[in-house]
Amino acid sequence: MTDLDFRQGGPPANGPQTTNLADILERVLDKGIVIAGDIKIDLLDIELLTIRLRLFVASVDTAKKAGIDWWETDPALSSRASRNALEDENRRLRDRLQALEPATDEDRDPGPDRSAERNDRNDRKETGQR
Amino acid sequence: MTHRAHRDQAPDTGVTYVFAVCRGTRATRTADVSGLVGMPGGAAVRLLPSGPLTAVVQTVPAADFTDEVWQSRLSVPREIERYARAHHEVVSAAAAHGPAVPLPLATLYHDDDRARRALDEEAHRFHRVLKRIAHHAEWGVKVYEPATVPEEREPVTAGGGGREAPAAGAGLAYLNRRRGVQERRERRRERALSVAESVDAELRELAAASRRLRTHGAVPGGDGRVHVLNATYLVAEHRSEELDVLVRRLGERTGARIELTGPWVPYSFVGEV
Repeated sequence: MTDLDFRQGGPPANGPQTTNLADILERVLDKGIVIAGDIKIDLLDIELLTIRLRLFVASVDTAKKAGIDWWETDPALSSRASRNALEDENRRLRDRLQALEPATDEDRDPGPDRSAERNDRNDRKETGQR
Repeated sequence: MTHRAHRDQAPDTGVTYVFAVCRGTRATRTADVSGLVGMPGGAAVRLLPSGPLTAVVQTVPAADFTDEVWQSRLSVPREIERYARAHHEVVSAAAAHGPAVPLPLATLYHDDDRARRALDEEAHRFHRVLKRIAHHAEWGVKVYEPATVPEEREPVTAGGGGREAPAAGAGLAYLNRRRGVQERRERRRERALSVAESVDAELRELAAASRRLRTHGAVPGGDGRVHVLNATYLVAEHRSEELDVLVRRLGERTGARIELTGPWVPYSFVGEV
């Protein structure tokens, strides 16, 4: 999480908005008095949903302005992008990076000797999840 | 993970969508809500009196408000935006004539009678919440650390598409650079978090209640600002000016950028009662 929290964004911001969608969503989606409705709508996994939306929401206005869709090529946001032309370069660097910087990802590297195995696992995870 | 939708509804029937619950005062009962758009595809937004309470409701097509439809809706950001904004607009309008308790997005009943019964059953809770939020508003406060200086920026690892593979040694240089970035980043983060704590502490003094929401991290599409506090406060109406002054003063003192949003219908302060 730490790494994600401080990851850099894309193009410059266009300043605060009055009724920012992210602000609305974090209030509308999982707040309000708890009262059972007749029709069960599963809005669960609100945290994941809002994180995903925040990325989307914050990017749309600026991206529209700049006429680009950078989130499609940002490896943090798109699995397609992470498997593009940079894949080879990334794979080469990843082995050494894991050995030097074991705590970067959410779970810790068990040791440099197992880093190759771990990379494989992560690759699979990435592909499967997105 | 997904629940099966109720099957006991004919596909073309309407169901009752409840946006908010207000006191059944004269001002509320005579309020004109028919101009509100409400949920896409729904009938006119209307009032549904139930004893001393009045709900703001809308008949919506049952077929369009099943769990299955919502699940696919929730995977399309533009759709979520559309429905969330529609919900928010009605909730905000409902609060124009007195306190309004917002219900969560997609609270649905088979018909008006069922909605009324739910209101009656929970009447004591609604009254308690209405009392709590009367003459209060919710204000959101976000604190950002200043933008990252260029050398702290993480090297961009992707996005170029057709970049050539790096020369030998480029990888090691990259790793060394990254390690330094990481250390500076951690120090910066500690400073930022202590600013967040002191801002929150001072705002809590002024507020009737407060909640911490999840921070948004770095602002995507932003200028490198890092979001370190996302909090929301229930503030008495007569103290909103004081809040404004305090927020400005805190910004000057800490050097952090502080955003104040509101007044909101107290969404975040109706769920705990």
